[in-house]
Amino acid sequence: MIQTQFSAEEQKVLDILKQVPDPEVEVNIVDLGLIYVVSINDEAKTLEVDMTLSTPGCPVGDSIMQHVQTVLEVNFPGYEVKVNLVWEPQWTPDLITDEGRAQLNQ
Amino acid sequence: MEAGLSTKNAPSVWVVVPHFLIGAIGLLIASVFSVVHYDHFLGYHITPEILSITHLMILGWVIMVIFGALYQLIPVVMEVKLYSEKLAYATLVIMVFGVFFLVSGFLKFDFKFTHNIAMGGTFIIIAVLLFAINTLKSAAASPKKSISRLYIIASGLYLLLNVSLGLFMVMNMSYHWLPIAHTQFLKTHLVVGLAGWFLMLIIGVAARLMPMFLIVHKTREDLLKKGFYLINAGVLMAFVLAWIPNYPTLLFALSLLLVLAGVILFLWFNYDVFSKRMRKKLDAGMKPTAVALSILALATLAFIAVYIGDAFFGLPAGRLEILAGILMIYGFFTGLIFGQTYKTLPFIIWLFYYQKLVGKQKTPLPGQMYNSKLVNLHTYSFVVTILLFIIGLLFSIKYVVLAATLVMLFTNTVYAINASKLIFHKKQTK
Repeated sequence: MIQTQFSAEEQKVLDILKQVPDPEVEVNIVDLGLIYVVSINDEAKTLEVDMTLSTPGCPVGDSIMQHVQTVLEVNFPGYEVKVNLVWEPQWTPDLITDEGRAQLNQ
Repeated sequence: MEAGLSTKNAPSVWVVVPHFLIGAIGLLIASVFSVVHYDHFLGYHITPEILSITHLMILGWVIMVIFGALYQLIPVVMEVKLYSEKLAYATLVIMVFGVFFLVSGFLKFDFKFTHNIAMGGTFIIIAVLLFAINTLKSAAASPKKSISRLYIIASGLYLLLNVSLGLFMVMNMSYHWLPIAHTQFLKTHLVVGLAGWFLMLIIGVAARLMPMFLIVHKTREDLLKKGFYLINAGVLMAFVLAWIPNYPTLLFALSLLLVLAGVILFLWFNYDVFSKRMRKKLDAGMKPTAVALSILALATLAFIAVYIGDAFFGLPAGRLEILAGILMIYGFFTGLIFGQTYKTLPFIIWLFYYQKLVGKQKTPLPGQMYNSKLVNLHTYSFVVTILLFIIGLLFSIKYVVLAATLVMLFTNTVYAINASKLIFHKKQTK
């Protein structure tokens, strides 16, 4: 599933995740369309992100996910952060935002 | 956190990086040899100097770096861990000894099966055998049954076949087991080496990486499937012909045509990927790659010209063979390695230094670990080198060939400096 509507708080998560670049293409993972779902539960203090990679063979996949985990833990202290790697639906270049396309060709 | 698929399959930095370092040293030695013996480029192609330069370039540089790069790329292309890192270390050490003895043997070459050539050749066969085992075992464990995997398996088998053929050829010169001219074996040695091993390997890796780097999803894999059958048919036919005395020339032409058809399909595949790419701007690594692919087309034309000259006009072997060889070995292979160095080496070094620091400290990106201006510089001087070789060899102008070797030395030195900047990277964090 790819989430299309985000609450203000979920949007805040996306804005923070824009700090995380794909080291190969040097475009942030949000504009690359790698973040599929963001869910925050303030009562249970949990923050969960479903994300994908542009290819299953991505050589820097672990480090991107590690980066996501770390920036969320730093920015949401006290929350239990969970980053899930998903492959469905498969990522395609159509998921890149207009901003991401512009960055790709800068 | 669930792990991504490839980083955990990535080999140790110590497996990959020494290949690039030793390869760069091999390239520089070959470049110095080329400057010192530049006048040999204008003569017959089987001389101790040309054989030493060719084998240093192919074994000490091209194959050395390809071994290292493949240990890194097998996990990416086949989504599997490298079968054995210990085997990879053993392969490297044996290969270095092999190249040393073989080249020192060639330098004393008198068409005899010398002690050094025998020892060097044997070491190289063992190294290649170990490499083939490592590649084929990894491929067997791969869950991904792709066209890339098929090409890489075939290339491993052809590499093994070709070094064995090379050694047999040299031994046959001394012991005359078969009444077949060494030039007949040499033709097949070139076809199996260039098309069977190198081309098939490049296609296998490119089929996966080009769309990945340029962000293209729907590729013309059908072209690569057809190409696989065509190139295999051509290479196998050339191999069989090597053992038949006085075979009809047209049969060899047919084998080359089959390979050529495969090359055209590969270039078509790349053209399709380039035209559909979402990432329009070529980065530092893709510029030399695009140049190398263009030179592949040029090298193919040069080989066709050599063949037509030999088969239909009876032209003696000489400058055109050397030009075709330079376009293929330096223009295509080396150009491609120059570009792909920047698409592979920074990542494994970056993972080594920064994987655990991302998000905690400010770290450089892989693309910031080398000097992009130096990449542009050695790409321009590389093109100048090729142009000088073409002019110097076609018009037989000695000083232009000397200039070509000097610019080549400059190009390779700039590349080596930039590669060293990566290899000896010092950790930068804020």
